[in-house]
Amino acid sequence: MSKTLAWLSSLLIQGALWLAAFISVFPFYWMIAGATNTANDITGGKISFGSHLIENITKFFTLVDAPRVFANSFFVAITGTVLTLIVTSLAGYGFEIFRSRTRDRIFGGLLFLLSVPFAALMIPLFVMFSKAGLANTFAAVLLPGIAAIFMIFYFRQSTRAFPHELRDAARIDGLKEWQIFAYIYVPVMRSTYAAAMIIVFMTNWNAYLWPLIVLQTNEMKTITLVVASLASAYTPDYGLIMVANVLATLPTILVFFLLQRRFVEGMLGGVK
Amino acid sequence: MKHFTFSWRKGLLAAAGIQLLTATMALATEVTVWCWAPEFNGAAMNEAIARYTASHPDVKITVVDFAKGDLEQKLQTQLASGQTEGLPDIVLIEDYGAQKYLLSFPGAFEPLTDKIDYSQFADYKVALATVDGQTYSLPFDSGASGLFYRSDLLAEAGYDAAALQDVTWDQIIEIGKAVKAKTGKPLFSIDQNDAGAIRIMMQSAGSWYFNPDGSVHIKDNPVFKAALTTWVKMLQTPDLYKQVSGWGDYTGAFNNGDVAAVFTGVWMTGGIKNNNMPGKWAVAPTPKLDGVDGATHYSNLGGSSWYVLSSAPSKDAAIDFLKTIWAGDVDFYQKILVGQGAFSSYLPARNGPAYSATDDYFGGQAVWANFSDWQAKIPGVNYGIFTNEADAAVVTQLPGLVAGGDIDAAIEAIDAQVAAQIQ
Repeated sequence: MSKTLAWLSSLLIQGALWLAAFISVFPFYWMIAGATNTANDITGGKISFGSHLIENITKFFTLVDAPRVFANSFFVAITGTVLTLIVTSLAGYGFEIFRSRTRDRIFGGLLFLLSVPFAALMIPLFVMFSKAGLANTFAAVLLPGIAAIFMIFYFRQSTRAFPHELRDAARIDGLKEWQIFAYIYVPVMRSTYAAAMIIVFMTNWNAYLWPLIVLQTNEMKTITLVVASLASAYTPDYGLIMVANVLATLPTILVFFLLQRRFVEGMLGGVK
Repeated sequence: MKHFTFSWRKGLLAAAGIQLLTATMALATEVTVWCWAPEFNGAAMNEAIARYTASHPDVKITVVDFAKGDLEQKLQTQLASGQTEGLPDIVLIEDYGAQKYLLSFPGAFEPLTDKIDYSQFADYKVALATVDGQTYSLPFDSGASGLFYRSDLLAEAGYDAAALQDVTWDQIIEIGKAVKAKTGKPLFSIDQNDAGAIRIMMQSAGSWYFNPDGSVHIKDNPVFKAALTTWVKMLQTPDLYKQVSGWGDYTGAFNNGDVAAVFTGVWMTGGIKNNNMPGKWAVAPTPKLDGVDGATHYSNLGGSSWYVLSSAPSKDAAIDFLKTIWAGDVDFYQKILVGQGAFSSYLPARNGPAYSATDDYFGGQAVWANFSDWQAKIPGVNYGIFTNEADAAVVTQLPGLVAGGDIDAAIEAIDAQVAAQIQ
């Protein structure tokens, strides 16, 4: 009796997991299959692979200045990730290690700011950057995101797991504060950094609304803007759009799989 | 002290460098154009640019394309911020939104009334971009509407081209039932969240959600009531249509042969010609509203126009470019008609060869000449500022109406919702 029950519950769990896996994986499959079909096939509901991949790819590379667009996207994503990780991990470390009542209040204030929607900040931000002569520059794309409050919060939480004994030992060995951060904290927290890196890279790579507002010329466009523009055709060429989507998704998938193990550790708050 | 002189000198050098840079840049006049749909608007604009720069090598015109919603968001953010730097010289705006931009941002756009001869453009296109006697647009593509249908399927059900020249929407319902019975295919693909049909019906009888002065014209508008009643009646006839969701689904249905017809703007012609059914399509005039004063077979769906920003540094070059090509080059319009299916509202263009050509894809019909004739008769209406809000109010009431709700109560509710939103 209990054996059948166990078997039944495992079947249910398996079924639910398979369903969840299908729901999250199927769109990816359809995107890849779509890249090999014509627009009419796709809107007609065809979900098997077709023979138009080369044609769609050729179309994409003739219509889009791909090297430029991807160079822009990579520049924004990589520079943004590096700068964000440096600033937010320093801040998170600082807030946790050098605690004081004032700093905790500042931190509380920062968390409160998380609740302000970006749409409310967009126009003032644009005025600021435009007045500073930074409209249509990558600096304008990157600067507002570098001190990402959520990431500061994330690093502060993770720093709680950072053993104080290590810091004390390093102090006794005569390391200065910045050396403790650079030589002790960073290597120890690499799982945390890996998880943060995936999140920040994805955010920067997929950034849409703000780059859309501040970037103004074709030379500066990132891949997300190009995909959106392709999709706005009067009779959208879905095969072409799917090729663009596959190419736009690849880097984030790659980064994720490269750092997957560390991502899981980092999310669980691991300290190595 | 020494350090100071050094950096000061360096600064001077940098300043000189920047000046040199701007001096070289000033040699060429640069004009920037923002638009959406690169394969349509962008391609037409690039053709115009090639023609203009051939005779004006000192002008450099660049097209920057965005998704339509993105372009609107960018433009709105920037106009609201008051920072004109980085705004384009020329921007494409959809006709339904024209009044909103012109009235919300007075002074942002350049009036072209004394620079362009507007008598050469379709009246309704000029009317929609006119505020206080000043016209601001260079009217571009027309949204003249028509009924595209599969001639093979309708013939099977017993309807030839002549039978479709003068039909009402009520007759369309009967035709739809016959087509479904004979061929097994519904006539239309319909997305209930799209109020395009209501817009087509209203404008065909010279009416809109708003009065010319901008006040709401819904509650006591017999045309709106007739349009809504007709549309609900159509939605209550399941044999008439295949229910779809979203643009891809909607276009997919007729491009894959699932449904037998589509009523839409002339800009769909290119899409239909891509669906690989040569000789099986034809176009009839838009069906007419039953029992409405001033009902016609002529209406409009969508369409957009070019506007010049008054803050633009190369404003004069931009205006000269629009005037020379877009308001003067008949041959240009033939080229973009053939290439992009971009159907212009520049009336002299219809005398060109491409506009009178017949098309074998449409069984030898002179499609463009038909649309030209229809376009000239489209009643002009004032789209006002809140068309999208009114659309949304209509769409909200539709499910209840289709389920048999009271039409007058629904109209009251729509009127109240729109009135509340525009205050």
